[in-house]
Amino acid sequence: MILLPTLCLLFLTVAAVENESFSEDVALRTLPDGRVATTFTFNTILEKEAPRDPRTLFDDQDESQHYTLFPLSLGQVLREYAVTELHLTLNAGKWDYDKWGYPSEPDVGSGASLWTWMADGAPNSIDARWSGLRNALAGLFCASLGTLDEQRTTSPVIPFAPEGSLPDWGIPHRLRHASLASEHVCTENLTPFLKLLPCKGLSGIASLLNPHRLFDADWHGMGIHVLWDPAVGVQVRMTFQTVTNPLRAGNIRKEDWSFRSLFDRRIERVCPVASSSQVSVGLPSRGMYNLKPEPHHITDNMGHYDLTKDFEPMDVSIKWKNAFEYLLEPITPHPMPISFRRMLHGNSQDRGQLVVTLDNHLDNAIDILYLETMPWMVQFYLHTMTVEHNGSVDNTLLSNLSYIPPVPHAQPATFQVIVTLPAQAHIKLSIDVTKAFLRYTEHPPDAQRGWDLPPAVFMPLDASPLDAKNETLTTYPRGKRIYSSPMLVDLATPDFSMPYNVIIFSCSLVAFLFGTIFNLLTRKWVVLKLDGEKEKEE
Amino acid sequence: MDRLLAKFRAPKTGNPHLVRIQRRDKIIALVTARLRLIVALLFIAGYAWMLILPTIPTETTDKIDENALLPAQINTQWNWDEVHAADRYLDQLEHLRDTNASSAERALYLQTEFLKLGLDASTQSYTFSTVVGDSTGVNAYALLAAPRTPGAEAIIISASWQSRTGEGDGTLNLRGVATVLSMASFVRRYSHWAKDLVFVVSDGYLDGMQAWLSAYHGVSQPNLLADNLDIATSVVWVALNVDYPGHSFSHLGIFHEGLNGRLPNQDLLRSFRRISRQTGGSPVILYDHIDNRDNHKSLGMLGSMLPSWLQTPILSIPQVRKYIYHASNVLQHANYQARGIGSGTHALFHKYRIDAFTMYALPATGPHGFHTLGKVLESTLRTANNMLERLHASLFFYMLTSSDFSLKIGMFLPSVICVSVAMMFHGLGIWTSAGWTQIAATATELEKSKIVVARRIRPTLPVLAIMAMTHAVGAVLFYLVNTSAIATSSFRQVLVGLVIATLPMVLSANPKVASAQQDEDTQATVAVTLKALNICLASTVISILSVLNFSLAASLAVLLGVTLCIPIPSGSSAKWVAYVAYSALGLGWLAIPGEVERMVWGWQMLGVWTCPIVCMIYTPLVLQAVIVCKLT
Repeated sequence: MILLPTLCLLFLTVAAVENESFSEDVALRTLPDGRVATTFTFNTILEKEAPRDPRTLFDDQDESQHYTLFPLSLGQVLREYAVTELHLTLNAGKWDYDKWGYPSEPDVGSGASLWTWMADGAPNSIDARWSGLRNALAGLFCASLGTLDEQRTTSPVIPFAPEGSLPDWGIPHRLRHASLASEHVCTENLTPFLKLLPCKGLSGIASLLNPHRLFDADWHGMGIHVLWDPAVGVQVRMTFQTVTNPLRAGNIRKEDWSFRSLFDRRIERVCPVASSSQVSVGLPSRGMYNLKPEPHHITDNMGHYDLTKDFEPMDVSIKWKNAFEYLLEPITPHPMPISFRRMLHGNSQDRGQLVVTLDNHLDNAIDILYLETMPWMVQFYLHTMTVEHNGSVDNTLLSNLSYIPPVPHAQPATFQVIVTLPAQAHIKLSIDVTKAFLRYTEHPPDAQRGWDLPPAVFMPLDASPLDAKNETLTTYPRGKRIYSSPMLVDLATPDFSMPYNVIIFSCSLVAFLFGTIFNLLTRKWVVLKLDGEKEKEE
Repeated sequence: MDRLLAKFRAPKTGNPHLVRIQRRDKIIALVTARLRLIVALLFIAGYAWMLILPTIPTETTDKIDENALLPAQINTQWNWDEVHAADRYLDQLEHLRDTNASSAERALYLQTEFLKLGLDASTQSYTFSTVVGDSTGVNAYALLAAPRTPGAEAIIISASWQSRTGEGDGTLNLRGVATVLSMASFVRRYSHWAKDLVFVVSDGYLDGMQAWLSAYHGVSQPNLLADNLDIATSVVWVALNVDYPGHSFSHLGIFHEGLNGRLPNQDLLRSFRRISRQTGGSPVILYDHIDNRDNHKSLGMLGSMLPSWLQTPILSIPQVRKYIYHASNVLQHANYQARGIGSGTHALFHKYRIDAFTMYALPATGPHGFHTLGKVLESTLRTANNMLERLHASLFFYMLTSSDFSLKIGMFLPSVICVSVAMMFHGLGIWTSAGWTQIAATATELEKSKIVVARRIRPTLPVLAIMAMTHAVGAVLFYLVNTSAIATSSFRQVLVGLVIATLPMVLSANPKVASAQQDEDTQATVAVTLKALNICLASTVISILSVLNFSLAASLAVLLGVTLCIPIPSGSSAKWVAYVAYSALGLGWLAIPGEVERMVWGWQMLGVWTCPIVCMIYTPLVLQAVIVCKLT
């Protein structure tokens, strides 16, 4: 009786080897501010397979989808809408680049964000497939992705270049990108995420994904990335990143952590179908600490544990000798090439000013691509755009500006510009904006906290050469997206809490004005003789 | 009532249109015949209403309109560890005070302490230059990024270095600052914050926060040189200002008036009151007025104004004691609101649509301290953290008569409107009668008793020119008091006042004005027309101001209401007395020591309207009355 499941398992493993493979990986590292960044990566590869050509969408027969490891529900969606590349992220929190450096997975913008590459040329339009895909994913992940409609969809090709390859079918591929900053991420999104994994959350590294602890982290985000590599096949990379603060709890003065303290779990058993299952721990460069158990091998300041060999229940822990002390100075060298801040100034409900400050931490000039995908509620006055370099106006620092103006009530603006940051420069870019006056049906029926504006994207461009002598600079990732935090904008809002007062008051006013004028216009004027005194006078 | 209706009821027969016109004429005649009575009644009603404001049956402040706030419904975690931390911070702050640390040293210390807690912290130095003196300082601030949130919203917890006690006379708010520091170390332990928390320790009394808020909102002010902030700014709905000047405290006082008479949403104050009572166990008072109704010896200024022999019998009546207590609150409120400068550091937040108030720990020997204040602050923060949207219900127009009772706008606004309406009726009455004159009944066929009236011209244009001139004089006065030569010298202020007081004499000596005084049968006098328009203008100003800044409107109603309306005495010496009295009323503020300096400081530093309103509206209105007096 015991043999039967084991045999099934063996069969599964064998089947997986044929044309599917699954590997899992978790990397943990202590950040300079004492927090712990954890990145879970689950890779499923459908070998020698290619995305669906959209021209075959209305053919009667699609190839059969007999998957053992590859998530079927996701695979069906991908084939139904002929998606070549897909990136969906659901994040909560603000990634603090200045303290935490670059994230392992670059898409860390708050809220939901979805971008896909799809081939054009299908019998049904790309927008129809985009809309269908949004709704299918909304259903799959229990997220309000359905609201990523035309009012939020843009196509900024440069910063969102495909990660994998695009098949050469002789038809063009198009990008669709949309983000929803106000989306909250919680356990209802994690459950469908776990269901896509071959071992669910039952064994292997995925068993650490305990919602009670994950969603208490200072920052957390999940991502589904589908891409195609002709040499490998179709690859689904599912990621979960967290930034946990061990110093938050109680009076603990050390940044000690363990699987127990971070996830309230340990790895009890391996996932049998995983071809590789690895735990990596970043070895801190400062302080005295004790890492248990001993890593199997060490490369590049990372200790690695291979779970597929000689497994026994595992709880990695790291303990420091001394109490943690926060840095009183900024980290040097700075973990990022640039720092940025984005703010919406002005307290009126009709005008404002968008201010972006950029600091270059490098000793050489750097080009930054700056992208805003602004909903039409906030409209730019492009002629007011000024750039101040260390306090003096210098508009020559801007180049390659492209702007797709918004269509009110329909389409967002796409604003893209390349900013040249001189060495160690502080740049302030400001642009006046006007805030739209909404139709009253356009206000959501919820509490009126304001409108979330999607994060801006900055992307250092590779144009500027690196200083070969300064080795620390070479560690800067290049050409990766940097997300600002979203902003909240106050638009003129009627007080919906007392509509009847307002209706009664304004109706009375209109009735009074109209009544008076109507009366004057339609009245027949006659001369009347007042009797009495007047007659006596005569 | 029936008789009254019968008077106007249409006869059964006759042209209905004609009847209607007759009825209208009758009503008009009835009103105009009793105009003086109506005006007098309205004046009496208005002033009486103002007097009884403290006794009007009021709404209790128990009800919280915004359901999301949920005040006093948490178990607070603030405990003796945090009190200990606050005590240690206080030791270091006292050391800074005793070693006469400079603003920069203090700010550096605060920044370092915030950084040690793992918060993003920075400092901001600023320099204000006004004609009444410059002020410089360094603010320290820190940001706790709330976990799991995108950082688009924030709550500000602030303490100014100087306490509001004595309005910045140098009393330090060390315990307030220590509370903020300890709170910063406390709140970072919890993940339930939905909004970023910004801690600000502003230098000085009002100047530091003004500089910080201007930089936070990207507002530039020509006389302010301030550093930009190093934190990304976000939308702020609520700010809590802590003021704890003493060693311990007995009550928590609410100070809520903002610049130019703006008030925070009352839900915030109501929540604070409930939290303070239920969670903190500390009684809440309005301002620093302890409700001492059990003890007649200390009933404040109003009680001691009574002659001593009257005090015991009158003050033994509970209703009188209640009236005196409420009246002192209302007067204090009117003082803060009408002056426009607000009652503390919180005042600066309101113009950015941030609801803010100061929780003032009333210095006493006990029984409360950091433990109570921390719990109340923690719970109030949690309440502000619960908010899903800005406080928006129309609880912005109110008058607190004590911390427990408040008046809605409908209960106090009519008092000023009554006075304003009375003035408007009186002014229109004068205007109308100025357009008519009695002519001698020369035609013999008329009955002897019949009075014959005829239209006459009113010299509107010259009068409007005179009025425009007085306002231009007001603008010049405004310019002059905003120069350093005059704002800082009380002698020169009095001199300017005297010069302006002589202007009506110069004007009346002008031959053009004199020639405008023509034959009274064909043209009304300039004086009468000017008086009519002056009263109408004053009434309009009061009505408009009443919804913007009720206390300012009420002050104008008291100062201008009857004084502009009373007839000018006819005797020559009495006229001079009136002339001097009006001039003193209109320009007397120039002679009050320090008043001009305060007003100019408020205008140049904070943008308080009091200075322009007094110079360009109030003084010209009274000057017009002086001219009337001179021309009559």
